[in-house]
Amino acid sequence: MASPKRRGRLSLRLLLWFLTLSLLPLGSVAWFLIGIAHESLSNEILSTQQALAAGFADTVGKYVATFKNVLIETAGIEEFAGMNSVKQQQFLNRIMQVHLAFIELSVISPAGVELMQTGRFLKANPEMRHFEGEDFFNTALKRGLYMGRLERFQGLYPTMTIAVPITDPKAAQPVGVLMGKVSLNGLTQMLGMEFPSSGRSSASVIAGDGFLIAHSNPKEAFKPEARMSEELVKIITTQNEEKGGGPLLLVDGSRLFGAFAFVPNKMLDWAVFVQQPMDYAERTSAAMLKRTASIVLVVAICVIPLAWLVAGNITQPIRDLRDAADRIAKGQFDEARELLPLDVSNEVGQLAERFDAMREALKEKTDELVGAKEKLEEFTHFLERRVEARTRELKAAQEQLVQKERLAAMGAMANVVGHEIRNPLAVIQNSTYFIKTKLGAAADPKIAKHLKIIESEIRQASDIINEILDFSRTRDLQPTKMPINIFVEELLSVYPFPAHINLVQRLDPANPDISIDITEMRQAVRNVIGNSIEVMPTSGSLGVRTYTQGEWAVIEVADSGPGIPPDVLDKIFVAFYTTKARGTGLGLAVVKKVLDRHKGDVKVESALGKGTVFRLLLPIQVEPKPGASRPPTPGAPTGQRPV
Amino acid sequence: MADPNKLLIIDDDAHLRESLAEVLELEGFECHQAGTAQSGIDAAIKLGPDAVIMDIQLPDSSGFQICSTLRKRSKTTILIMMTGRFLSSEEKKQGFELGADEYITKPFDLTELTARLRQLLSRPRGGA
Repeated sequence: MASPKRRGRLSLRLLLWFLTLSLLPLGSVAWFLIGIAHESLSNEILSTQQALAAGFADTVGKYVATFKNVLIETAGIEEFAGMNSVKQQQFLNRIMQVHLAFIELSVISPAGVELMQTGRFLKANPEMRHFEGEDFFNTALKRGLYMGRLERFQGLYPTMTIAVPITDPKAAQPVGVLMGKVSLNGLTQMLGMEFPSSGRSSASVIAGDGFLIAHSNPKEAFKPEARMSEELVKIITTQNEEKGGGPLLLVDGSRLFGAFAFVPNKMLDWAVFVQQPMDYAERTSAAMLKRTASIVLVVAICVIPLAWLVAGNITQPIRDLRDAADRIAKGQFDEARELLPLDVSNEVGQLAERFDAMREALKEKTDELVGAKEKLEEFTHFLERRVEARTRELKAAQEQLVQKERLAAMGAMANVVGHEIRNPLAVIQNSTYFIKTKLGAAADPKIAKHLKIIESEIRQASDIINEILDFSRTRDLQPTKMPINIFVEELLSVYPFPAHINLVQRLDPANPDISIDITEMRQAVRNVIGNSIEVMPTSGSLGVRTYTQGEWAVIEVADSGPGIPPDVLDKIFVAFYTTKARGTGLGLAVVKKVLDRHKGDVKVESALGKGTVFRLLLPIQVEPKPGASRPPTPGAPTGQRPV
Repeated sequence: MADPNKLLIIDDDAHLRESLAEVLELEGFECHQAGTAQSGIDAAIKLGPDAVIMDIQLPDSSGFQICSTLRKRSKTTILIMMTGRFLSSEEKKQGFELGADEYITKPFDLTELTARLRQLLSRPRGGA
């Protein structure tokens, strides 16, 4: 079974609900039943007690009446009054023999003097007593009967006195009083049998003043000054009914059921009291409660796992939904679907169905978003590349512009300077020509030589001016598209290579097309070749090759000259920089300018003592028709010809 | 021998003008000189030279202007433009359209120039 943590609070809540719903009715029904049982038990106990009390009161009344009747019959018989004392004595003795409860019997004269006395515990010749003025004597004499006068014989055993008048049919007045002292121990014995000490109940017979006449426990009854407690006596004696009962709470805290019944004798204020501690009923209730509690416990124990299972079963789809939501949050859309409780017969299943629709939509949107993000990233990269490329282009354009402006300014200056120098040069030329013509063949050979020098220098100066002007002028390119090898071969075929140069020529079999202004490019390649030849004044090898490198078509010119020192290498393309005794320093600057104008590049690599390699990079012109490649020029791949 | 060919040299540079004139006179031409465009045109009208050698850059006007004016007056006069600066092909084309016959760039090879002049002048020209 899953752990509570995984199950969540919903399961616990459901479990609590199940427990409450199953145990609460059970508990309350049990509670009511216990209450009813307790009440009916109490009522049962009380009614039993009342019946017992009433029955016993009746018994007590009859018991006492028996002795009263014995005395009345004895006193009423004709002969008794007329009997002599011996006969009376014999009669009384017989009564004593028959009725063991009588302790003593006395015959009293109307004057109140004891005439005869019999008793079970009398000494020989007991002293006669005088009873005139005594309550029992007067009552019996006047009213015909006395019952009462409770005493304890020997300080322990309760007795009562019954007195009746002795009548003589011949006399109008009673001739005496017959008095008997009756032991009431029999009542205690009877109570003891009815309410044994092992039982729950006890019973007692009390007089209105609290005198304990009898008790189911003899130890209670037979003791000096045995009395019922004032509290109970008060409760009983203040009752209006003949009999009754109810629960009692005494001042000492004890709780009991009490039932009373007055003895049906108008002369006696006796009552029978049956009592039972309430704890029996309470114990019974408690036992029932205990049993009910154990039932509740058993039910709870049975319900808990059952409810746990049911709650788990009910909440399982909800937990599945939750797990599915977790998966979705992690982007695991397909795994999430497997978890969905798609049972559309219940509400959770319907919810899962909607959830699945939502998941589907979410997945779609997420995919779209991911796609859009990828596209965006791609686009961003594309933009970045574009920006980089544009930045490079702009920078190049700016450099070009600066260069162009500089060249334009230089061109303007060169133009002026050229014009201003050309005029004097022309004058010198004219004058020299004039002198030369004037002197003619007669001239001194030395003068002729110097005139030649002047003419030569004028030419050189003119050439320099031309070169500078050439470099500084800006003319529009006139591009022609042609295979690179054709261009190179044509150029090499007319180049005036000196005899000491060994030309090694190797041409690119791919032979891509290039778009060039032939005049300018020719000038550039010539300048490079010329430069290389110049550094190899006595002998050397010149390698000219073409090849393809990425999107570039390359013309490579390699010499076996002394190489260029690194500090010089940086400056060789700078205009007017030269290491030669004579020269404008524009040769390689022109190369750079031409390649720049062709959106190409020139690179140089040099190793001292080994030689220098110039590489002229030109963008390959892509054929408009793909696959229509030009066949390589015959004899092009490796050509080597001494010049 | 026929009369020497009449040449008019127009250039604001007096040294150049004079030296060129003297060289060409040595070569047997009759040379006249003018220092400005206006005086050059006047001289041309007055003299009716066989050839005019003029600098393109003049203080009061351009050589093209003179070329245009003179060509309108005479179809046969040889007009040679002289320049000390670089001319674009566009400029050259314009000059030819205005009637120029030849361009020379300073400093020029006088042997070449003489030969060219002779060659141009020897061509048959419709009535001057």
